[in-house]
Amino acid sequence: MDTTGDTLTPASAHGSRWESVQPWLTLACRVGLAAVLITAAVTKFPPALSVQAVEAYDLFPVEIARLIGYTLPLFELALAVLLLAGLATRYSGAVGALLMVIFIAGIVSAMVRGLNIDCGCFGGGGQVEPGETTYGVSIARDVAFAAMGAFIAVWPRSPLAIDRVIGLFR
Amino acid sequence: MGSEARKRSRERIREIREKEKRAAKRNKTLLVLGAAALVVVAIVGIGYLVLNADRGDGYEGALAPQVLQEDGSVVMAQEGAQAPVVEVYADYQCPACRQFELLNGDVLKENAAEGRAIVQYRPVSIFAQRPEPISGNSLRAGVAARAAADHDRFVEFNDLLFQNQPTEGREGFTPDELKEWFAQTDPSEQQQEQFDRRVDEESAVVEEFTGDYLPALSQDAAEQIGQDTLNTMVLADLMTWGADNGHDPSFLEGTYTGQIIEATGNAYTRYSGENAFRGTPSVYVNGELLDNDTAMTARGLNEAIASAEPGEVDSAPLGDGGGAE
Repeated sequence: MDTTGDTLTPASAHGSRWESVQPWLTLACRVGLAAVLITAAVTKFPPALSVQAVEAYDLFPVEIARLIGYTLPLFELALAVLLLAGLATRYSGAVGALLMVIFIAGIVSAMVRGLNIDCGCFGGGGQVEPGETTYGVSIARDVAFAAMGAFIAVWPRSPLAIDRVIGLFR
Repeated sequence: MGSEARKRSRERIREIREKEKRAAKRNKTLLVLGAAALVVVAIVGIGYLVLNADRGDGYEGALAPQVLQEDGSVVMAQEGAQAPVVEVYADYQCPACRQFELLNGDVLKENAAEGRAIVQYRPVSIFAQRPEPISGNSLRAGVAARAAADHDRFVEFNDLLFQNQPTEGREGFTPDELKEWFAQTDPSEQQQEQFDRRVDEESAVVEEFTGDYLPALSQDAAEQIGQDTLNTMVLADLMTWGADNGHDPSFLEGTYTGQIIEATGNAYTRYSGENAFRGTPSVYVNGELLDNDTAMTARGLNEAIASAEPGEVDSAPLGDGGGAE
């Protein structure tokens, strides 16, 4: 499955240019998505407020909401570390994209149920005045982040990665 | 050996090599996946332990005496305590206030009981202007807490309200529920009766406020001074405008509903600059607003209290020890 690098035949000039540019694009996505995830994790502190942001979605029982509120920022942080280190790059990118898809589903569900909440994506969260919701912006943002994760998953080959040292995605 | 056979053998060798290559790649993939899983488990696991260590140990001991103040707030402190004043502004319908209470309610009780803090609970209703049922929930809970304070049961009732906070946007804090929770604070029969009566009276006032008075006032104000200006006005200012424009607020006089609305308005004017009151929960130590990282962690709040000088409560105790005028 991880044959992207060796099967691409540099038949055309276009192909070879892509091959030299793509690793740097992937690196940019790794760093960019990691920066997003770190920002998201740090701004969710303190966890008491993060729990409140999760509860506002009104989707989980109290104890589960509490667990998510405490562990989600930590998971975001861990994922950022993996992306920066380039460890299991393809899978980290895929999980990052999947996480964004889950976030989008959560926001859409809040929107559909007519809740007036802040997504709590970067801290904050909880109720806002009716008419002050920003679901559209939040979803668009998450779509962009999901695209970055997908790019990494499809083209994991990139410089400055532990995977490369081990001999993956060369 | 014919050329056909040589070809087959070359083919086989190539297949074996391919297979080995694939196996090696699979092993490497499993290796990085395992390492990645370890990193995730380590960060999430250790982080969770660290964050959880911030929870207080809980406090089950006796509460410091509670003294109801003229403005409807409640001071919980040991008599004659020389300690910093910790003011807590909360709206019973505010989810972040519930998180504060769950996390730091016991920290406040313990500090007060041990004479290290003078805790002043200042219930407010920042949601009084929100659409129903948020506004009614917020106000009913606030007046019920005030009624519980008449019977020296504010802190206990305050806990019960937060434990039973309805999800925002759902009907909750009904008169029947409020009475039932008050019964859990072990009142005398007479106290329960007085509480029940008060809650019924105030619920009617709340209903008039959220159902008739405020919608009419808001509509008029929107038409006459514009929605944009209206959005920047706090409720107290809007009501002052209303009083001069045919919206008589006298039905609120002498009610706990009126008192909590007034207390909320006063919160906005009590502090200035960086310490200005902007919403709930807000925690002040000697008049200084704590940031979220301080107020919403047990360690932060404990340290803020421990490092502050003794302060003075700026309200006066209610003379007769209970009952509204």
